[in-house]
Amino acid sequence: MTVLSAIFVGLAMGLIFGFALEKSRVFEPGVIVGQMQLSNFIMLKVFLSAVVTGLVVLAALNGFGLVKLAPKGTFYTADIGGGLLLGIGITLAGACPGTVLAQVGAGYKDAWLTLLGGLCGAATFGYLEPALRPWIGDGPGKLTLDAMIGLPFWIAALVLALLFAAALVGLERWRSWRGEVGANGDGDRAGTIAAYDITSVRVTKTSI
Amino acid sequence: MRFLTATAWSPYAAGIVIGLLQIPAFLLINTALGASSSYVTVSAHLAGFLDPAVAQMDYFAKHMAGAKNWWQVALVVGIVLGAALSARLSGSRRGAMSFVWPRALGISSLTARLPLAFVGGFLLLLGARIADGCTSGHGISGIAQLSIGSFIAVAAMFAGGIATAALMRRI
Repeated sequence: MTVLSAIFVGLAMGLIFGFALEKSRVFEPGVIVGQMQLSNFIMLKVFLSAVVTGLVVLAALNGFGLVKLAPKGTFYTADIGGGLLLGIGITLAGACPGTVLAQVGAGYKDAWLTLLGGLCGAATFGYLEPALRPWIGDGPGKLTLDAMIGLPFWIAALVLALLFAAALVGLERWRSWRGEVGANGDGDRAGTIAAYDITSVRVTKTSI
Repeated sequence: MRFLTATAWSPYAAGIVIGLLQIPAFLLINTALGASSSYVTVSAHLAGFLDPAVAQMDYFAKHMAGAKNWWQVALVVGIVLGAALSARLSGSRRGAMSFVWPRALGISSLTARLPLAFVGGFLLLLGARIADGCTSGHGISGIAQLSIGSFIAVAAMFAGGIATAALMRRI
């Protein structure tokens, strides 16, 4: 595929991705920090639904021989160290590398600085990568669950999809998503609508 | 078309829509959904203005050209546009910042929030590039491909996130 057509496909897919992120409310700092404080589970619901769908889609596409998988390698120090830093960043930013762009689109002003910080973080890693290489390469490389338990990918994927789907049913029975969205759609369930004046950038709060 | 003007969809419906995007990603681009390597592509080109040597550094160089890299940059630009469209259709454009920051951290103005947003963003991408993937690449795509490294990375992300959130006031 040419670069130009790849860009066209990317824009079209991103439009759908961004639309779904905004509608799900998972891009809201209130939802993300709420998830990390274990008081709001919308993030886990969106995430696991996307995983279940991906597992079923890839079980079919790979099972019928239409696509080859390219799972990321397993590198213990990098996965744990990088994952921890990323997790700290998720809470401080109230965003992930993908959802910060939905925040920019939805209008949050602070998301521009998160984005700038992200670009600086990526560039910093690029400069450090030669020095970090001995640590981030520590691990077995390609290692997948299906290979470990000796099942074809499609069977293992469908079993895991079923388990995650069951977990989602339980999660929804325990905490309904409708109660987690908040009156203003920002994950604020405390009964107040926070209104932020864009021009003065001072915070005012009004009760419903 | 009420679903286009709704403020919120069921997280399950939205998650399914996102998961279905793996179909064009794998069939057309021969890759999985991801977001964080686009930051390397963009930052490499920006850094290139100040430091032309980046084009000779392996890690930057392999992110600077090619259909897959530019596809992901287009994807994240599309996310901005899609979210803007959705927010406009539902009349839920956001203001300066979320209610979270005053409530959890006592931050009362956008100016006070900006340094923390920058640090948060910096750690997001430093961590994601060390781990070779973010919530999309490791989370949505890595787990869907049953990569053990992705299970570990996602567990670490939640561990880091939960520990940090425990230091804040409850929202």
